[in-house]
Amino acid sequence: MSPPRNPPLRTRPPVLVVGVAVVAVAFFALPLIGLMQRASWATLGHDLTTPEARAALRLSLVCSVSATALSVVFGLPLAWVLARVRFPGRPFVRALVLLPLVLPPVVGGVALLAAFSRRGIVGEHLYDWFGIQLTFTTAGAILAETFVALPFFVITVEAALRLMDRRYEDAAATLGAGRWTVFRRVTLPMIGPAVVAGAVLAWARALGEFGATITFAGNIIGKTQTLPLAVYQTLDTRPDVAIAMSVVLLTVSLIVIVSLRDRWLARP
Amino acid sequence: MRTGPHRRRSAARRRPIIGAVAAVFVLLLVSAGCASNNGTRAGQRAAGTTAVDPDLSGSITVSAAASLTAAFGTIRDDFLAAHPDAQVTLNFGSSGALESQIETGAPADVAAFADEATMAKLAEQSLLDRPSEIFATNRLVMVAKPGNPKGIRSLADLARAGTVSLCAESAPCGRYAREILTAAGASIPESSITRGQDVRTTLGAVTEGDADAAIVYLTDARAAGSRVSTIEIPASQNLEARYPIAATGASRNPVLAQAFLAFVLGSEGQSVLRDAGFGAP
Repeated sequence: MSPPRNPPLRTRPPVLVVGVAVVAVAFFALPLIGLMQRASWATLGHDLTTPEARAALRLSLVCSVSATALSVVFGLPLAWVLARVRFPGRPFVRALVLLPLVLPPVVGGVALLAAFSRRGIVGEHLYDWFGIQLTFTTAGAILAETFVALPFFVITVEAALRLMDRRYEDAAATLGAGRWTVFRRVTLPMIGPAVVAGAVLAWARALGEFGATITFAGNIIGKTQTLPLAVYQTLDTRPDVAIAMSVVLLTVSLIVIVSLRDRWLARP
Repeated sequence: MRTGPHRRRSAARRRPIIGAVAAVFVLLLVSAGCASNNGTRAGQRAAGTTAVDPDLSGSITVSAAASLTAAFGTIRDDFLAAHPDAQVTLNFGSSGALESQIETGAPADVAAFADEATMAKLAEQSLLDRPSEIFATNRLVMVAKPGNPKGIRSLADLARAGTVSLCAESAPCGRYAREILTAAGASIPESSITRGQDVRTTLGAVTEGDADAAIVYLTDARAAGSRVSTIEIPASQNLEARYPIAATGASRNPVLAQAFLAFVLGSEGQSVLRDAGFGAP
């Protein structure tokens, strides 16, 4: 074991710095405490079994898992190409892939409309030729969630591909393994933890997606009204149900953080 | 010492980013400046028509139903032309959302809603200065894509019109739509209804998105112009939406709040509302 690069302070930390840091922690903690405090725990189960809440829970599960699956199917080859293939315009392609990370989701929704609505550049032909309409469908909600979730998977896996020791791949290749075998038996096991972490991150982002979904796929109970949309809609009329669903989302987020603790929390 | 040159290098590398951030801020500032310039110019244009009263000053926030967006924008400009030292901030949303905002202590000096039931909630909790007054009425219409490709003629046709955009139940237009549909015996399957948070998002699903039809206020259909085809709902099936306005009890500037209220109820405010298609109270 090498000594830690960043040893803890031996002197007393400055009071002012610690004070400001405590304020920052309170800033994160207080809203969560407030949410927990407002939740009516006795009726939580009842609130979550109302028809809207059940429809939203089921739909959120379907959409977020589908979006994660799509992110893995398309993200793994994309991450590999970005990490391993040199081609002109690669920085541009990477910037394009990462754009949804910083783009306001509602703008993503508007952009998806421009591309895939019945009057969009692609959606127009999908509709005219095949009768396929993505807006106001569950497929549309999945599309919107994939749009925002995919970058999380790609950056995580691409980083792992860049950081891994490629000599293992070279060794396998010199021993006669084909490219597919090398990928399956050497590369994939080595980047496995990153693939899982990327998928979990993408799933969490997909689960929380709001702006792109409501803009592109609308707000149809049982079809496109996922948990965040249901929280937003019921907040005025049935705050208890909205808070119960918020507690579910908060719990899931905590589970995600804990499950990724080796990547995030274990750092010195 | 070892970190010296390294630090300098990274600072140099960061400079273009700082430049880019600065450029974005300048851009935002300039566009904000342009927007406020427009406001002043509109104010100056209207100033010729009304007596200027410099006595009223300070600022108020007006929480108004989404269907009042255009009309109250004009009314605000006219009001400010008459009272150049006053500031009026408009806060639009569904009446239901605005009501819960006021309930939880959001700053609002005047509330203008699209239904009396929502205003009654504020009255019940003694959050109003004095009883509300009706300042406008509205009707509901159906809108479809331009040219009405689905051939919608009656409320019953909505059941087979594809995706229908309705307001959420928390917004008055959602409850009005339910009442109208129930009374007409028309039922639309829930799986083809997309819910807008307020009437403008409900309309936007047709004008910007792929929804085939919507039930919105006459005034919104009129404001959308050629972006929709409007299908009237016969008077026997329609209802009259009555818009109440009141100053809140928590107002920090009751004088200005009352002046704005009087302006909306007065001839100038009323003529703006008539132009937008609202009915007389």
